[in-house]
Amino acid sequence: MSAATAPVAPAPRPPGAAGPAPGGRRRPLRRGAWWTPYVFLAPFAAIFGTFVAFPAVRGIWMSLHDWDYLMPSKPFVGLGNYADLFDPTSVVFQKFWDGMAATGVFVVASVPVLLTVPLLLAMALNRKFPGRTFLRAVVFLPYVLGVAVVGVLFRFVLDPNLGVLNHLLHVTRLDRLLHALGAGDPVPWLTAQPWAWISLVGVTVWWTLGFNMIIYLAGLQDVPPELYDAAKVDGASARQRFRHVTLPGLRPVLAFVLTMTVLASANMFGQSDLMTNGGPGTSTRTALMVILDTGLGQYKMGAAAAMGYLLSIGLGIVSIVNFVALRERGGTRRPRRARRAS
Amino acid sequence: MSAPGGGARRTTAARRGLGSGVTWALVVVLAATFIGPLTWMGLTSLKSYGEATSSPPTLWPAEIDLSAYERLLSLDGQYPVLRWFLNSLLASSLHTVLVLAVASTAAFALARMRFRGRGLIFGVIVSTLFLPAFVFLMPNYLTIDALGWIDSVWALVVPGAAGAFGVFFLRQFFVGLPVELEEAAALDGANQWGVFTRVVLPNTRPALATLAVLAFLGNWNDYIWPVYVLFSPERLTLPAGLKLLQGAYVTDFPSIMAGAVVASVPVIVLFVLTQRFIIEGVARSGLKG
Amino acid sequence: MSQSSRTPARPQPGPTGSSGLSRLSRRGFLAGLGAVGLGAGVAACSSGSPSPAGTGGSGGGAVDLAFWNGFTGGDGPVMQDLVDRFNAEHEDIAVKMTTMEWADFHAKLPAALTSGQGPHIAIQHLDSLPTSAARGLLLPLDDLASDLDLTADDFIRPVWDAGIYDGARYGIPLDVHPLGFFMNTTVMADAGLDPADPPMDRESYEAALDALLANGVAGHWMSPHTFTGGQTLQSLIWQFGGDLLDADGATAAWAQDEGVEALSWMVDAVHRGWSARDVGQDADIIALQNGQAAFNWNGIWSINTLDEISGLAWDVRRLPRIGSVDAAWAGSHNFVLTKQKGTTDAQLEAAQVFVNWVSQQSAAWAVGGQVPARTSARESAEFTALAPQAAIAEQAEDLRFPPSIPGIGDAIGELYTALNEAVLLTKEPREALEDAAARADQVLADNRDRYGA
Repeated sequence: MSAATAPVAPAPRPPGAAGPAPGGRRRPLRRGAWWTPYVFLAPFAAIFGTFVAFPAVRGIWMSLHDWDYLMPSKPFVGLGNYADLFDPTSVVFQKFWDGMAATGVFVVASVPVLLTVPLLLAMALNRKFPGRTFLRAVVFLPYVLGVAVVGVLFRFVLDPNLGVLNHLLHVTRLDRLLHALGAGDPVPWLTAQPWAWISLVGVTVWWTLGFNMIIYLAGLQDVPPELYDAAKVDGASARQRFRHVTLPGLRPVLAFVLTMTVLASANMFGQSDLMTNGGPGTSTRTALMVILDTGLGQYKMGAAAAMGYLLSIGLGIVSIVNFVALRERGGTRRPRRARRAS
Repeated sequence: MSAPGGGARRTTAARRGLGSGVTWALVVVLAATFIGPLTWMGLTSLKSYGEATSSPPTLWPAEIDLSAYERLLSLDGQYPVLRWFLNSLLASSLHTVLVLAVASTAAFALARMRFRGRGLIFGVIVSTLFLPAFVFLMPNYLTIDALGWIDSVWALVVPGAAGAFGVFFLRQFFVGLPVELEEAAALDGANQWGVFTRVVLPNTRPALATLAVLAFLGNWNDYIWPVYVLFSPERLTLPAGLKLLQGAYVTDFPSIMAGAVVASVPVIVLFVLTQRFIIEGVARSGLKG
Repeated sequence: MSQSSRTPARPQPGPTGSSGLSRLSRRGFLAGLGAVGLGAGVAACSSGSPSPAGTGGSGGGAVDLAFWNGFTGGDGPVMQDLVDRFNAEHEDIAVKMTTMEWADFHAKLPAALTSGQGPHIAIQHLDSLPTSAARGLLLPLDDLASDLDLTADDFIRPVWDAGIYDGARYGIPLDVHPLGFFMNTTVMADAGLDPADPPMDRESYEAALDALLANGVAGHWMSPHTFTGGQTLQSLIWQFGGDLLDADGATAAWAQDEGVEALSWMVDAVHRGWSARDVGQDADIIALQNGQAAFNWNGIWSINTLDEISGLAWDVRRLPRIGSVDAAWAGSHNFVLTKQKGTTDAQLEAAQVFVNWVSQQSAAWAVGGQVPARTSARESAEFTALAPQAAIAEQAEDLRFPPSIPGIGDAIGELYTALNEAVLLTKEPREALEDAAARADQVLADNRDRYGA
């Protein structure tokens, strides 16, 4: 997926850079012997080959078999495991596509929030005001917790009948607002839709918001202040400045955050497993839960590997689409850079 | 400090009387949203099982019950928490060092050197970002077994260092470094290793620090892989060991929350100690997304 | 989070073909049996048959044994005490117990055995035992069972039978853990019910729930989760005269009228206000602890939990009869010996000594919240003195167990989905059960192919 790198390559000028901004990208330096790059790559390549490339290839081999490492025979089934995933009468068809749909729902619901809210926060916390450092730290704090802790904590907090959230809502009478919106009594945070999705997305946002915010904060430092000044001279409103200065300046960072967030959301597993256990019904059973259940629960590792590859192909396509979309509009960055250099 | 959407001068507006009241209110609400659940975790860990599950819930423990912590920290050896802590610390530290070492060298080669197959290698590495970790679980278990690393710290340290994230992340930084710096060093007679250690690494310290923290946190919080590859109770990591606190049939919330507190406090302390450097550092230097 | 079946995404034993022993280990195993002789002569075992391959010991002559289980609750320390006592009484055997979550246990066991890092002795639940046997993880124990004088008469029949796969015995039952009828006696008394005379049939049970409702209490919270809604539903299906699978174990039978009736009773309880809506995991028993509910059908393991809560007045009985027959869900822990490369004859012998010894202590084990699997132990004065356990054990003859076929967990999981959908009011009971049965039929057919059954 070399497309992954495309939008991020023309990076803004780093602060440590002395002298004029590079007018154009130079060719990579070529010093040392022909084998120097390979020496630099060797340590990573050794580990990568052993623990990623080899198993990834082995996984493809697995997916072509009815593979269970305990079974003496692992019959070759060709593309059978893949065909099953497209055969509506097979055992795995419904489960897998329900899981993919659940993953899709989560990605669609969580990624926009995880892209925008951290950006707004980053912009707010980029201003100077008392308590700023403290607040930055506090927002990032949940990210240091593991999903095991986060999941159990929120299953406890969000329990419809016994959780402290509904208790607080009741005491403050805010639950009436939610009832007016159609929520049952008690508000079924984990036991009915759309509340279960709202909870899963909300908890994920609470947990990982800080990570994205930090990256945005970093990106904001690279938007040159002169551009804001120039925009103001031109009479641009705050909204226009955001639209025409901040956003274009953040595009490479946005691409990075988007990729990472889509990947993380598409691999969502722990939150559902611990908080809703895939329910209500199987509505929050994500693709990864289905894959793990198939592979490690039912020991159909070949089938699970096939599912894994299908999921990753899907992710690859989504990522390519993301990048193509961002690259197209990325063209607007050029003039900005030129202006900045002048 | 520039303020997008406002410009540097705008910050003065925030200091005006009207602004500061609103600002403070927002700060408090925001802080409460993030600290609230964590506080609840801490308070629950101090309650008895009966009180933790009482309804309506009590805010402050009616009676401070430290039995969850006593169970955890008792010296009779059922839960060698200190041991687990040291195991985790060792594994996560070694892992972090390894990640920094192999990811930075590889990223440097991919960002700055021209060689046959560079695009292909980078493409392959990045494309593995899309593979769900499950695909690697069983094959890697068998590999670890073949290497004789089962039940050893190496099983926790090495496999995760193959992740594409570190290389991807650092390469983006290295690419953004101005070539002039390196050329200057090269003119002074530095070879590639010299350029790497004397120019590239010092100039990307915030990126390295960020990656270090992320690698450490990821390794510290992992609780699936260690459960597979560790067998002896005295060799468990903290998150894997704390799973033993989970009752077989009932969810003992105070004990789990106490375990969470014990497991989180070290990383929270680490974060608080480094946060100024991480957040301010990354923010000041800018991430070369 | 607790038993393996609770977290569907976590490993449960699955299929495989090979069920027999490798030739070598079988020979070693038989040699070991000859040396052990009857259970009485156990102490002499490892010195009695110094096998040439017997290098399992740690130099000093003691045979090291690894014993894995998932007793992370109050039962863990009880088992550890037993292990300590065993080690003290047997100088030549050193058993090291390792406890982990059941979910981790099931995930780890096959991998560990493959790499020779696994236990020699382990505990398996009744419903995972045939699966593990089918996947070739376990050693057959017929000879051990006969040498230990274990006979069918001394065990609850289904428990005894469930240890048999493909004509061979793989498990030695340690205990049974049935569902019991737990009650908060304070809440009952407040509603004018007599805690000493709890409702034991449908009419009085529903009347009691009405009385509780009149007093503002949703009396019996219906859990939509495996724990313990899944066990409650299974008990009810059996009580209404239905079954989980047909007689051949080939198709799901829970969508027949009896099953629909059972699930409808649970759903009606929600509609009528006898149960709260949107009950979370564990919330059913927590509500009983809090006085928000009066009744809960929960596992015998809850005895220890409830005992620890100060100021809680509670009691427990056998399950009331809601349907037409008495029936209650139960699980069972079984000792198994594992098949793993590197296990020596001396270790096999020592493992048998251990299993035999612990299985004689089952009354002591019952303290951890279990019912002994052996009738003789159940009738012992030691056990009958444990009032709550003995009360639940009254229904020993009416206990029903999950079907003993490999991969059954995969199929039963579908029933839990139906339960979840129906009790959370997202699907009608019949529709939910029928959909689940259709999926389970496919799973069962698929598993039949895999196991060649």
